[in-house]
Amino acid sequence: MTTPVPVSRSVRTVPLWAWLLAMSSLLALYLVLQENGMLLGQAAEFIHEFVHDGRHALGVPCH
Amino acid sequence: MTAYDMKKLVARGALAGLLAGVVAALVSLLIVERPMRAALAIEDARPAAPGARGGDLFSRPTQVVGGMVAAVVVAVLIGIVFAVVYRWVAERVHRQSAFARSLHLAAVGFAAIVLLPMVKYPANPPGVGDPATVDQRTSMYVSLIAAGLVLALLAHWAYRALAKRHWPGPMRGVVAAGGAIVLAGVAFVVWPANPDPIPPDVPAALLWQWRLASLFELAALWAGLGVGFGLLVDPSARRWAAGQRAAVAPT
Repeated sequence: MTTPVPVSRSVRTVPLWAWLLAMSSLLALYLVLQENGMLLGQAAEFIHEFVHDGRHALGVPCH
Repeated sequence: MTAYDMKKLVARGALAGLLAGVVAALVSLLIVERPMRAALAIEDARPAAPGARGGDLFSRPTQVVGGMVAAVVVAVLIGIVFAVVYRWVAERVHRQSAFARSLHLAAVGFAAIVLLPMVKYPANPPGVGDPATVDQRTSMYVSLIAAGLVLALLAHWAYRALAKRHWPGPMRGVVAAGGAIVLAGVAFVVWPANPDPIPPDVPAALLWQWRLASLFELAALWAGLGVGFGLLVDPSARRWAAGQRAAVAPT
């Protein structure tokens, strides 16, 4: 067994880009599952109707 | 330090999400579709309400595919977030194998993001739900999930704080988890009830069947994510897989 190599702080903390990626994934989740026209307006209707089965099946509130 | 390589972790999170999404999509097709059809038949039998939104923008088969695509997309996005949170947890929790850590994180995510809102605001099939209250229901649902995640963090902090006071593991677990459950009970009372009545033409048996099917799809998604990601990041599982490949590959 080798002795553990000291890890620098920059390697040990979650990088900023990863948090930003996580935030944009959450925004995308909102657009797929929750958007009712508040942000996207008309385009929301297309997304909404296409994934309509999925929204109900995943237990998300729906009209 | 592959265990901390963020890019690889994110790629594995997305891959685990893809696998979990495919499993959830199959559950959607094989199990959720049956009560879905029964609910749609009830909805179609009603006289069209004035000013109702067009439900026939897409054909029925397209919507079935859409439901499966939604499961896969949602699972991949959750997988990416899962990988980032996993790395954050891995910096703090060391006495655990990567596989066990992934399973624990998935279990906590399932409890806070699925079980908590499912008990307070159970899933409803199409044909239940007033379009006028959807924004209100959405904010109640999202805020309850946020509260569940805060409770998970509080439990984590309490567990660590008690460790510094040298409490034995089981006692820390009981106090941290028990406290979170009590606070979840308080949240159930504080959060408002779903304002929508269940229409009288929707049978209780269909509602029950629907909610079990929905819970099954979400459980498949989170189980797939926890197990899939755990196998992809666990060093011993990776070594074993590499050994298998080396044994099969011609030298």
